[in-house]
This record gives sequence, structure tokens and C-alpha cells, in this order.
Amino acid sequence: MIRALKVREHEEFPGVYVVDFEDGSSKLATINLAPGIKVYGEQLVSIGGKEYRIWNPYRSKLAGAIYKGLKTNPIKPGTKVLYLGVASGTTPSHVSDIIGPSGVLYGVEFAPRVMREFIEKVAVHRSNVIPLLADARFPSKYAHFVEAVDVIYADIAQPFQSKYVADNADMFLKKGGWIMMAIKAMSIDVTKAPSETYKREMDELERRGYKVKESLHLEPYDEAHAFVVAQKL
Amino acid sequence: MAKAYLLLNPLAVYLLDEGGEAKTFYKLYRDDISRERYLELLYDMEQGKLPEEILEFIARSVEPGDELVVEDSDLGRFISSKLKDVKVVPAAGNEVMLKARENIANLIETSLGVSAQKYYSLLHELTLQLTRLKVKEVAEKRDLFVAQAINALDDVNKTINLFASRVREWYSLHFPELDELVDEHEDYFRIVSNIGFRDKITKEKLLEIGLKEDLAEKIANAAKSSMGADLTEFDLEAIRLISDTGLRLYAVRRSLERYIDEAMYEVAPNIRGLVGSLLGARLISLAGGLDKLAKLPASTIQVLGAEKALFRALRYGAKPPKHGVIFQHPLIHKSPKWQRGKIARALAAKLAIAARIDAFSGEYRADELREDLEKRVEEIKTLYAKPPAKPEKTTKARKGGKHHKGGRR
Repeated sequence: MIRALKVREHEEFPGVYVVDFEDGSSKLATINLAPGIKVYGEQLVSIGGKEYRIWNPYRSKLAGAIYKGLKTNPIKPGTKVLYLGVASGTTPSHVSDIIGPSGVLYGVEFAPRVMREFIEKVAVHRSNVIPLLADARFPSKYAHFVEAVDVIYADIAQPFQSKYVADNADMFLKKGGWIMMAIKAMSIDVTKAPSETYKREMDELERRGYKVKESLHLEPYDEAHAFVVAQKL
Repeated sequence: MAKAYLLLNPLAVYLLDEGGEAKTFYKLYRDDISRERYLELLYDMEQGKLPEEILEFIARSVEPGDELVVEDSDLGRFISSKLKDVKVVPAAGNEVMLKARENIANLIETSLGVSAQKYYSLLHELTLQLTRLKVKEVAEKRDLFVAQAINALDDVNKTINLFASRVREWYSLHFPELDELVDEHEDYFRIVSNIGFRDKITKEKLLEIGLKEDLAEKIANAAKSSMGADLTEFDLEAIRLISDTGLRLYAVRRSLERYIDEAMYEVAPNIRGLVGSLLGARLISLAGGLDKLAKLPASTIQVLGAEKALFRALRYGAKPPKHGVIFQHPLIHKSPKWQRGKIARALAAKLAIAARIDAFSGEYRADELREDLEKRVEEIKTLYAKPPAKPEKTTKARKGGKHHKGGRR
């Protein structure tokens, strides 16, 4: 295995690290909040007494977005995040690493099968994770558990995804807070060209009063995926 | 006319005024309430139901004529059906609630005296338990589906065997040598369905449908010098009807196996992790459900599926069976005979633990169970490496059935 040489904090994003390897390559990483535990088979690297988890852009859309030059990343140490669609916890585990013990991640997932995985691999080991088995389309069903958050991160791959994200943001997002949303063109409408779908979803966010600040394509890390960052004014 | 806002939290229910300040609250998290009762209450809250005591609290606190703003419309309907005097206004995503939510940790601290740190750790613990409970509930209803699926799988297997022997006998009139050469029923079906006439069988075509090189060569040679009778298109069509069905059944079998594997992940991840989905599902089916399996002693799990032998032993004093369906586990059937009983006992003991975890708590601990088991099996293998001096008399009866040629499952 290629040895890791040194680690430095990402220039713009606190809580995100860059590990330099012997062969000259460098990769994104986060400090492992649950030392010794892997979530999806990622590489663990120990430098200077801290354990880092290498963050794979092909597995995690947020990492992909950072590699593709994301400008704003409101997820930092201490951030409160409502995460819609945690699935088995690949990206949420890194978000949990970044926000650290002073942050909170409310993780919503509808499918019991992956929720089980999320609980055993992520939630039990991380006290900043609040798992919620619920349908993100009906935010009032889990409202009693969730406080107002700084960021809503959505990876729900649904038709009318922006509508549901905005419904959640209306209820839980602080003023000035951020929406980060991955749009999978295919699962919204296969008959339309991808860019058309992105536009429609972004228009919907704007219509609901959320200002789209940034959007980027995730190729080659994810095909037909876009990543959108919007702010609540 | 004033408005009151109903803010629900796992620790307390608040009524807020229009400025987002808590006018009054009702404490849910108390020392005198059991954890089970408490989780049940939270669960009901999510379903849009409130217990009597909270309804009374609302009735007490809301002035007649006041409006009560509720976020969830199901909950709103529930409240207005129970409290006729209260005017319920459903409104999700309003400023007042959002403001209160920004402040929730403070609100909890000032009203309940629970520090923010304590609040978050409580929330973590509660949601973890509640979510496990809900995941389990979904899975519970599914164990009987898995039991049916495994029975369906057995039916499919039986039918495949039945059709295979028919097709083999039937097509042998035309090409008798093939029966001996091809062990796998599926390969046999493929040859009949995809190639058909004996004189069309060539090595290339056989390789195309996925046969191994040396076998293809043998078959192609046999086809050239076969002693079978000639076949017309008319006759072949009839044979193909059954052969095609056989192939379809193989596809059904694969889908069923996938379904069982997926479902077992939800229903019984520990059993699945310990012995695999198919054997696990079979045990659930024999016990009549996951709950029932979890209540069985390990000694019963050990002989599930060998009831006939067990009762023979109990009634007539014959030798008791060492294993039931768990014999299908490679740790048992690949071990020498004299070790099997001991391994079966160890495996059944771990299975009993796994079933109980799956039925009652739902954590994933199959890896440690499997490690423990492997350790014990290793011990058995070293302690009892040689057969006992006086070899046990083996009972042939339980091996069941006549010898079948070819792949049985």
C-alpha cells in the first residue's frame, strides 16, 4: 500500500483535510470520529496521532463536488445538518466527521433495509448522529425530533425532489442557511435531457424563495448528476 | 383571538405564543415512566396520535375560541376530533415554530433543567432505540413471507427435478448418450431448447451455450455416432415445451434466491450472517416464524427438520439424530462423521443466540458469533482429530431419498 506522508487542512473548508501520499498523489480525508471503524471499506490513515478516513469521490457526491471545485461548503465543525436520504451512510459518515462532537446530523432515511445498515455502521458509533426512519416527503412526521439547522443536505433522487427539499427547508432551515442537493437526472425523469431536469429543479428552488448560488456537474465521479447549493434569504 | 402553537419534542410538549415564547409545557420525559411506555408514546406521536394526558393538557391550556396551530395535518385532525372546542389550524413551515426550533436546546434547559449536552445524548439514544424498533417492526411482518418463499423455492426445485427426468427420458429416445454425459439439468435443458436436433449439435454451438470445452467435445462426438431414433420437428416441439419451462424455472429459482437473500437481510441479519440466507430462511420456515425460532432451545434448533428421526428416538429408543437441516451448513457436512454431532451442537447454540438478537434487539453481531463458532470448531477438530476407537454405528436412514444423478439443488 502507498504510504501517506503528511496531512493538511483544506484551504477553504475547515474540517476537511488533504492527505499527501508517497507517490505524489493527494486525497481528501476527514478525521475519523469513530476511530478504528470503517463505514464503506475506505482507507484509514494515521498521521500525528490522529486517524483520517480517505474520502472517495466516486462513492460520495459531496467529495465529488469538492474535487470538482465546489466554492461554498457550509458544512464545518459545529454545523447542524438535516440530511435527507442518508442511505447506508457513506457521505453522512464524513459529514459527521467534519461537524465533529459539537455539530448534529439529523439523518432521515425511508428504507428500513439501508436504515439498518446506517444504524449499525454509523449511528451507533457517532453520538452526533440522530437517525430517523421517516419519509422525507412528510417533514411534519419527524418534526418533533429536529431542531432548526444550518444546512439541509439532500440526496433523495425523487421526482419533485426540490419541492420536498423546500418543504423541509421551510420548516427547519435557519435564515441564511444552506441547501445542498444532489440531483440525479435519471431518477427524476428519464425522458428528458439531463440539463432540462437540472434547470427545472433549480427553478423550483428559486420559486420557493431559495437562491441558487452554485451548481456543478459531477462527471466523471457520478454520471448524469448535478450538485446544487442554494441559500435561504 | 389569540393563536397558540403546538411544538412537539420528545422530552416535552410546548404551547408557544405568537412571539415563539413557551407559555406552558407538558413534560413527557419523566423518571416514573418506563422506557418501553415512553418509546411507545413517541411512536404514537409520529403516527399522529396523542395520549389522553396530553390532550387534557391542551384542553386545559388553550382558551376557548383560541386557534391552535399544528404542523402535522394528521395530528391536527386527531386533535380536532378529540377536542371539539379547540379550533385547529394546520400550518407547516411557519416562522414561529422555526424560531422556537432554533432555540430548542435553550428551551429544554430552562423549562426542564436538562443541559444541552444531556439533551443531545438523550436524543441520540432515543432515536437509535426508536429506529431499531421501527426497523424491526417492518421486518417482523416479513418473516412469514420469507418462510413461504423458501417453501416455494423447494417446490421449484422439485419441479425442476421432475421435468428434468421427464425431458431426459423423452429426449433420450432421440439421443440416449446425452443423458450419461450431461450431469447438470440446466445444461441438458439448454441443449434441448437451444440446439434441438442431434445432428445440429456441434462443439461451437455447445460452447456458445456455456458448456466446458472437453465436455462439448465429448457430446459433439457422441452426437455423430448416436444410436437414437430420428426425430421430426413436430416431436421436438413437444419436448421443447417442457424443456423451456425447465429453463424458466431455473430463472425463477435464481430470482427467489435473490429475494430471500434481500429479505433475510431485513428479517434476520444475524442468522443470515451466521449460516447464510437459504439455511436461515429454512430454519425460520420450520420453526413457523422468527419469533418462534427465537423461543426454541438450541437443542431443538439442532434437530429442526429431523423430526421423524427425533420422534423415532424418543418413542422406540433409536439413536437420536445429530442434526436437522443445519446439516446443510458446510461446517457440518464437510466434517468427518464423528465430529458432526459436536459441531452441530455448537452451531445450534450460536443460532439460538442469533435468532434471539434478530427477534428482540436487532443489532448486528453475527461476526463475533461466527468467530466464536469457528474457534470452537477449530477446537473440536484438534481435540477429536481421529475417529473414536470404536466407530459409531452409522444410521443410513436419515440421508434420505434415492441416489439422484446430477445436481439435486
